[in-house]
Amino acid sequence: MAKVLMKGNEAIALAAVKGGCDAFFGYPITPQNEVPEYLSKYMNEHGKVFVQAESEVAAINMVYGAAGAGARVLTSSSSPGIALKQEGITYIAGAQLPCVICSVMRGGPGLGSIQPSQGDYNQATRGGGNGDYHVICFAPETIQETIDTMKEAFDIADYYRNPVMILVDGLIGQMMESVDFDRPVKHRFLPPKDWAATGTKNHPGKRNVINSLYLEPKELEAHNNMLAKKYALVTQNETRYEMINMEDPDYVIVAYGTMSRVARSTIEILKEKKLNVGIIRPISLWPFPKIAFDEIGKNCKGLLVTEMSMGQMIQDVQISNRGRLPIAFYGRSGGIVPEPEELAEAVMNFEKWRVE
Amino acid sequence: MKRITFVVGHYGSGKTEFAVNLAIQKKIDYLLDLDIVNPFFRSRELESFLLENNIKMIASTPLNGNYGDLPFLSKDIFLPFQKSDKCAVFDMGGNDAGALILRQFRDYIDEDVDVLMVVNVYREQTQTVDAIIRQINAIEGSSGMKITGLVNNSHLLKFTVKEDILHGDTIVSEVSKKTNLPILYTAVRNDLMDKSFHLSGETIPLTLYLRKTWL
Repeated sequence: MAKVLMKGNEAIALAAVKGGCDAFFGYPITPQNEVPEYLSKYMNEHGKVFVQAESEVAAINMVYGAAGAGARVLTSSSSPGIALKQEGITYIAGAQLPCVICSVMRGGPGLGSIQPSQGDYNQATRGGGNGDYHVICFAPETIQETIDTMKEAFDIADYYRNPVMILVDGLIGQMMESVDFDRPVKHRFLPPKDWAATGTKNHPGKRNVINSLYLEPKELEAHNNMLAKKYALVTQNETRYEMINMEDPDYVIVAYGTMSRVARSTIEILKEKKLNVGIIRPISLWPFPKIAFDEIGKNCKGLLVTEMSMGQMIQDVQISNRGRLPIAFYGRSGGIVPEPEELAEAVMNFEKWRVE
Repeated sequence: MKRITFVVGHYGSGKTEFAVNLAIQKKIDYLLDLDIVNPFFRSRELESFLLENNIKMIASTPLNGNYGDLPFLSKDIFLPFQKSDKCAVFDMGGNDAGALILRQFRDYIDEDVDVLMVVNVYREQTQTVDAIIRQINAIEGSSGMKITGLVNNSHLLKFTVKEDILHGDTIVSEVSKKTNLPILYTAVRNDLMDKSFHLSGETIPLTLYLRKTWL
């Protein structure tokens, strides 16, 4: 397939199909509606499953059921809708089921707005579900990267038997870019899903039970220990980040998604002012790329975290920085995307925006 | 140019940027944003800029502010039909879903109205002659109006090269032959304008008003 022009949400839908998606369950919400709209037609034409559920809660529980039966399942929503899915997500993680969740962030809290935002960093990386679980979360910055990540996401979910979230803001969902769907992505060796609840004909006498309930304290603790080992493995293998212009920078901007694109332009503006600025771009938000912060050169005077929120990634940056460099924050919320010039001003007036 | 122009087409075919550029270059009086499908990148975001260019924006927002996605249409949408000395461009939402609301204008259609179909052959679902004709039929079906002309707006944003526009011209010309619809305009990003181009219809140089410069 040669280059085509796609809207972010349509690209998410088609990339999911290319990644092997068998079924979609969701409920409409702006600004991600093109995902279900695209799939409602495509899945029907290709003999796959599409259900517009009666609510987000119903949709995530349909995901739970279909994933338990061994299918590759996608759900998609936006901020308040993802909030509604949290209960289902912890059940899916607890029952060790693979699925892919697409989250297209809009303004919050509450109903917020329908304009783009990055206010769901904590929702994505900390989650609102109960218990010791994690969602593997990737935050691409372009539509091409969104496609490549989505194509790989089902493999990652199957490999670790855990939910994978693709986190973008409304701008990436709504904007257009020319993209290529045929770029190769990494495939993993995946064992057969012998745990799936598909009936007993393949393993007579043995029932597979999908469950997250362990009443025996020792059993639940053993289950949590096993999950913790899995999450350590994910941290070791799936931590992703990009270092941009990081050769001995004066300052480092820490930004993901749309904001790292803005920051790329900021670098050019500051070059003209003889200021050398690098970017640490976390791609996996959980696991957070702590190791990237060990690679910062000696002459760096500070880290500027920037987000389309009031500042949610700061905590992860503080943990990774381990008190070494001063940290400042510049963010806009409400659906406003900071311009590259604003970020340049923030770097030049670092002390004004300093938080640590 | 006809007194009233409706701009329709597939999602993301470039209707809004084309409509805004056309409105400014042809010095029309009203730009009507009738997009009830898209939540972002709508012409109503340019209201104050258009006013500076003496174009009155009639947007589809019920409150002060242009950031809702309600299926609401302004009561002023018939204004251009009442003022016969004024020119207007109607910027519609995408696909048959966006064109559905055209039905209410059926009784107002006369020889001074154009319904233009914007085509980008690099959009995933309008890459072939057959796919474009299917899209034309779907929009005509839902709107109850006949499309009167085609606009070749084939591009790959910043990756567009001259050959892409010419490839678009070839495909859209084929559509034109099969449907008997003339190509009235070809839209070309202004930095790609080249006098040696032989393109169908009138060339409209495009300034991208809604796209962030850093994208």
